[in-house]
Amino acid sequence: MAEALESDLFDSKLVFVEDGDNQDTIFKQVSDRLLAAGAVKSDFYQHLSEREKSYPTGIDMSVVNPAYPNVAIPHTEGEFVNVRKVVPIRLEKPIEFANMIAPDQKLQVSFLFMILNNDPEGQANVLAQIMDFLTTSSAETLKSLFQAEDPATIYKILVAGFKK
Amino acid sequence: MTVKILAACGAGVNSSHQIKDAIEKEFKKRGYNVQADAVMVKDVNEDMMKNYDIFTPIAKTDLGFTPTIPVINAGPILYRMPAMAKPVYDKIEGVIKKENLK
Repeated sequence: MAEALESDLFDSKLVFVEDGDNQDTIFKQVSDRLLAAGAVKSDFYQHLSEREKSYPTGIDMSVVNPAYPNVAIPHTEGEFVNVRKVVPIRLEKPIEFANMIAPDQKLQVSFLFMILNNDPEGQANVLAQIMDFLTTSSAETLKSLFQAEDPATIYKILVAGFKK
Repeated sequence: MTVKILAACGAGVNSSHQIKDAIEKEFKKRGYNVQADAVMVKDVNEDMMKNYDIFTPIAKTDLGFTPTIPVINAGPILYRMPAMAKPVYDKIEGVIKKENLK
């Protein structure tokens, strides 16, 4: 049985550094880990992948700061997840995502904030919290995050950053 | 009169809710009575749209039909940066005034 998940927006056990050549590989690797942790349902991967193809989630960070790598916020409907969490995933090498607000534009993405949201009406908007973090944190903080080598460092930076 | 806005995104859980919240907050500040709903793009149909004054998807969206109400792409609101959001809010306010929705 999966261990109990922590109650905050981030869980130290749900932070990953992944290596893969494309979206499907990364999504499958992470979905398997999330399923083992009890955070998602068995059909999460299928719905996550399908949704990303139809409604992409890449975010062009160059409009925030041209020095920042692009990010993505993959997610799917609440019925396929069991928790309300943000799962940070640093990618060893960038992979292609389409731009969420301009789907014809392709972006090379280096960091994912995978949103698991089984309660969209519940509390402050999760995506809003992520965007506030990305647009108001210091360049030094974000540089440390995007270059972090291990999940523990990523977790520490995000927990501190989201307490602002 | 309440201005009714329909926000839509792929999953109907994150982006559209952020747009709904941001539009309602901004237009309260601007002195308008605005009510927004957040839905999944795949659930949007012609009948649903009859209940709204303005449609605000997160990106240019092929609905399979031509909307009969004004469509304003609201994606830039997601950044929560005033410089990016203001042009979208201004466009919405322009439609409210032009269509005399207030």
